Amino acid sequence: MAYSDKVVDHYNNPRNVGSLDKNDPNVGTGLVGAPECGDVMKLQMKVNPQTQVIEEAKFKTFGCGSAIASSSLATEWVKGKTVEEALAIKNTEIVKELSLPPVKIHCSVLAEDAIKAALNDWKKKQASAAEQPAAAAQQ
Amino acid sequence: MTAITKKGTVCWRCHAPHSGGHFCAACGKIQPLARGTDYFAFFGLPQKLWLDCAELEKLFHQLSWKLHPDNFVRAGEYERELSLERSSQLNDAYRALRDPVARVEYLLAHAGMRKEGAAKQQAPPELLEEVFELNESLDELRTARASSTDDSHLASLKQHLEAEERKLETKLREVDEELKRIATEWDAAFDAGADQSQRKALMSRMNDVLNRRSYIRNLVANVQKELAEA
Repeated sequence: MAYSDKVVDHYNNPRNVGSLDKNDPNVGTGLVGAPECGDVMKLQMKVNPQTQVIEEAKFKTFGCGSAIASSSLATEWVKGKTVEEALAIKNTEIVKELSLPPVKIHCSVLAEDAIKAALNDWKKKQASAAEQPAAAAQQ
Repeated sequence: MTAITKKGTVCWRCHAPHSGGHFCAACGKIQPLARGTDYFAFFGLPQKLWLDCAELEKLFHQLSWKLHPDNFVRAGEYERELSLERSSQLNDAYRALRDPVARVEYLLAHAGMRKEGAAKQQAPPELLEEVFELNESLDELRTARASSTDDSHLASLKQHLEAEERKLETKLREVDEELKRIATEWDAAFDAGADQSQRKALMSRMNDVLNRRSYIRNLVANVQKELAEA
């Protein structure tokens, strides 16, 4: 199967590969996987608590070229967006941008799930930090 | 498949009523496969997941002897065609039923309940963490192999992965046990005449277990491949 130029580009020059400190209260981590092909995708985002803007995004994906390209593109897109804007990203937009064939649509679904999982993790952290302001202040 | 008739029609040759077996009870002629015949019915078995494999093998040998094209060399073209068709179906049916996991796969696929690759099929989170770490170790192993400067580092990585592989094999056995338990429930439900929704619920649970199983199997295969090259 031939990959589109954009997939090949992201595959050869993946953006934002790496990791952020998952214990940082402003970092949300999303880990998702597809059982049928063994792909695993980790997406991390650092959110500015005042502005709600995603300042940093990193990923590491083990999987096919489309899975890597989808997550690489996702990190590019979420950077500079607010949490709400990032949550509105749809897998179909990723499919369109990367011209993914039907058999690879699940890769884009995985990327969308990873964004949502990471931001949910971040929200949970924010909520628990708000519940225990004294404990947070002591740290 | 070309030659298919409805269940409960008549024999193509003598027009005696025919209820879906391989041969006409009245004239003994080989019959086309009744529509909707599943592999269980092919062997005259109920759709249950516990099977006596020795018994299945016996049925397979009996049928392959009866349906074999050699028996039909002097028969008409239609009968020769049916014999060929049934013999190849017999082989498919036997392959699908003799292995317990393939049997579940077949049962679900036949009912349209085998679902892979759907968006909502997420791997269990506790497994994902492990899978991610495992992949990182595999990456490390590949890098260490490529540089091949530090032999003791490579050796310890290999050891780590071998231990991981054993853990995965244990997981695979656990998954197989789980599948077996649900299969037993399925058989009990079958005997109790469970309705469609109960059957569907059981099939959907089996489908989940099958997906988890193939996920772990892929991981084992990956680890084995890397270890073989290291």
